[in-house]
Amino acid sequence: MKISFRINQKDVSLDLDPMRRLIDVIREDLGYTGTKESCGEGECGACTILLDGFPVTSCLLNAIHAQGKQIHTAEYLAKTEKGKLLIDCFDETNAVQCGFCFPGFFVSSYHYLLNDGEPNLEKIKYALSGNICRCTGYTKIFEAILLACDRIKKQV
Amino acid sequence: MSSARKFDARPKVAGTYRFLDDYNNIEMMHGLLFYARFDHGIISKIHLPPDFNLNEFTIVHASDIPGQNLVPEPVADQPFMADKEVIHFGQIILGIAHHDKKTLKDFSEQIQVEYQKQPATTDIKQCLEDEKNCFGKEILINHNFTPKSDPGCTYLHKVYYTPHQEQAYLETQGMIAIYDDQKKSMFIQGTMQCPYFVKEAVETIMGSAIRQVIVETSEGIGGAFGGKEDFPNIIAGIAALLSYKSGKPVKIVLDRSDDIIITTKRHPARIEIESWTDRISGKIRKLTVDYRLDAGAYQTLSPVVLARGVLHSFGTYNIEEAQIRGRLFRSNTPPNGAFRGFGAPQAIFAIESHIDHIARELGIDLADIRRINLLRKGDEMPTTQIIQEDHIKECLETVISWSDYYNKKARFEEFNHTHSDKKGIGLAIGFHGGGYTGNGEKILKSEVKITIDKDELVKIYVANTDMGQGAYTTLAQIVSEALSYPLSKTIVEIPNTDKAPNSGPTVASRTIYIVGALLQNLAYKINAEIPDNNLSSYIKNHPGQFPREWKLQFQPDPDIRFDDNTYQGTAYKDYSWAACVVEIYYHCQIYQIEVKNIWNVLDIGRPVNRKIAEGQVEGGNIQAMGYALTEFFYKPGFGRMHGFTDYILPTAFDIPEINIEFINTSSPIAKGLGEIPMDYPAPAILNAAQHALGRNFYELPLTPENIFQVLKSSHNTKIAQEDN
Ligand code: FES
Ligand code: FES
Repeated sequence: MKISFRINQKDVSLDLDPMRRLIDVIREDLGYTGTKESCGEGECGACTILLDGFPVTSCLLNAIHAQGKQIHTAEYLAKTEKGKLLIDCFDETNAVQCGFCFPGFFVSSYHYLLNDGEPNLEKIKYALSGNICRCTGYTKIFEAILLACDRIKKQV
Repeated sequence: MSSARKFDARPKVAGTYRFLDDYNNIEMMHGLLFYARFDHGIISKIHLPPDFNLNEFTIVHASDIPGQNLVPEPVADQPFMADKEVIHFGQIILGIAHHDKKTLKDFSEQIQVEYQKQPATTDIKQCLEDEKNCFGKEILINHNFTPKSDPGCTYLHKVYYTPHQEQAYLETQGMIAIYDDQKKSMFIQGTMQCPYFVKEAVETIMGSAIRQVIVETSEGIGGAFGGKEDFPNIIAGIAALLSYKSGKPVKIVLDRSDDIIITTKRHPARIEIESWTDRISGKIRKLTVDYRLDAGAYQTLSPVVLARGVLHSFGTYNIEEAQIRGRLFRSNTPPNGAFRGFGAPQAIFAIESHIDHIARELGIDLADIRRINLLRKGDEMPTTQIIQEDHIKECLETVISWSDYYNKKARFEEFNHTHSDKKGIGLAIGFHGGGYTGNGEKILKSEVKITIDKDELVKIYVANTDMGQGAYTTLAQIVSEALSYPLSKTIVEIPNTDKAPNSGPTVASRTIYIVGALLQNLAYKINAEIPDNNLSSYIKNHPGQFPREWKLQFQPDPDIRFDDNTYQGTAYKDYSWAACVVEIYYHCQIYQIEVKNIWNVLDIGRPVNRKIAEGQVEGGNIQAMGYALTEFFYKPGFGRMHGFTDYILPTAFDIPEINIEFINTSSPIAKGLGEIPMDYPAPAILNAAQHALGRNFYELPLTPENIFQVLKSSHNTKIAQEDN
């Protein structure tokens, strides 16, 4: 079946089994390997992407769910202004350990920054509640996002 | 103490850093490990599904192995693949490869194994009770122990249990094998901690069928925590065999449920402690520890875990008479393996909980009982090692005052009088020996290499991997500081067994402590050879002398001796020390413990990179919190866990405030750090729960179900009553 969508600002149209997992389409068919698979059952958030601007776990979606939609992955968001600012903050706080969970955390926190952005720890925890990290103990991830929120506040 | 940034942070966030599954090529076949799914039986026939074109598949079985079907380990008793007999659920029977992942999965799901069922031991607690399940070599330490009882003493006899713990690295295990028929060589790339272990494993399974094995890690290693110490040997071996048979590159990446079911976990333990404590002074006169680990179906590296567990089981206490026994038990479950702490978290959980029970029994405060019994400078451990420093005392006193322990304790008790929800405060101390146990480093003889190119790049070659702990950044920092050379021009090369000497495995909190120290010495040696002490200008002025290479090998200290039979001597040259206070809030309606605050005071010597060190403590604390509250692998009547839906890991909502202080930071030595933050929080959480609820607990994890059981029954005091 022909499935057409826009990913990282590029239009694509692919002949796909509509039930193929969206994560496989993104990683294997399109080569955006920044989207990671860890649990494959919607628990860990490593595969988080933005679907029409909303964070979703791509391992639970099928190709058909992308029909006519906009997808953004970590690779693209990393090049945006807010994305760069967020990466600076992850870097400065030494928040990153193995990094396998990070593209997912990045997408979730980017969405938070864009849509709320209040430097409020409880809200940030809520925004990250769909992402699991086994290395960091989360503390420095919170620190990084709080820092990013503060910086964006100062910009406006 | 600097906090240099990690060079790999940015590409990791942006998703451009490559993990194993991100490596692809058109030729590549996908591989899968087909495992038994029954606990014990003799295979009579394997039925492959009829509706597939078998020519498209490559299938390997034990009978295809050209070399030896035994995984090299401290005890090489485990086959790569079962031949006839299966003795645990996760035992691999076939390796299968196909070009299409989905076809491969469908095919494997329809394979039927016919077998004669045999009796199996799968209830871990029962297994650990029954001495006939004991196997392997027993460890016995006797330190002046006399069995006669002491009339002035309070006798306490308790049994402690800890469950399996899954490493749950976010990147599942995987390997790529590429066989070159012309050269008869095998290239292995993977996510691993110990490239030289993998090399030996592939050489073992392939035997004389190949001439050369080169092992390299993927760029990124998505967490390991011990889980990628020995299991990668099996995956690499089978991937190699599949590539050899098919002539194609083969990539095996486990899916989460296969990974969680078949790979190694932290050993469940049953630890029985008897103590005789002076009623007046609170001094522990005598102690016996019976330390038992469930090894699973094979011994593999369990004897080494047992050794470390035994050597941490007496805690940080000065005990005049001690007898410690360590034994492995066999069950029909997948072999357990390395996990951050390596036997010590179980040991420290038991001894720290026991110290609390003694304190409660005698009506002594938790801090005081520790002060009275603390290992002080000049004291002797049950191994006869003499303690050279008083840092544990400083850790303890600092954490008590910093956390406002006494005031909080009183305030919480007041709160608990008038509320149904409860507050609790707990305290625990711990230690962790750096590097391999006993003579291990002497035998390993690690070697490191540094090269300097014409283009002024200082390159570090080690076999140790960066699995997230920041090793590449920290090691580069050590060399750059020692050479007074810019960090931006100092890099650690991705480990490759063809280029890096064997600097040993990435385990035992040894990467900075042992390998870092070797690199530092090598850098000093290079410095001494550079006349005017300015490397940059020297390279510019003498381009003809470069590239150049330097190597250095570990030299054991001849004064350090350890007897592998009696366990007497210096088990570890340097110990890291720590003390911790934990505050909890107990939600009575849902029987749930919430950890609110953790204070850590640690002596890890010199933290090379403060922020990286903090990250290790935070991560270790939260793994320990999971160990204490939610994580377990088997549930009687429910079976095993299958993924992150039923194996419950801490998430953002569960994270307490974590406070960290390092002492002794001007020490010249950077001691072990990776494991100690995992060792002590679980008993601190347990004794905070005892403080909050006024009940005794002896077992992890403190899930709502388990707390409910304890609160509803009086059985928890039964053992004590029987013995008194
Ligand atoms: S891989 Fe999709 S949520 Fe874990
Ligand atoms: S950094 Fe390793 S899982 Fe998050």
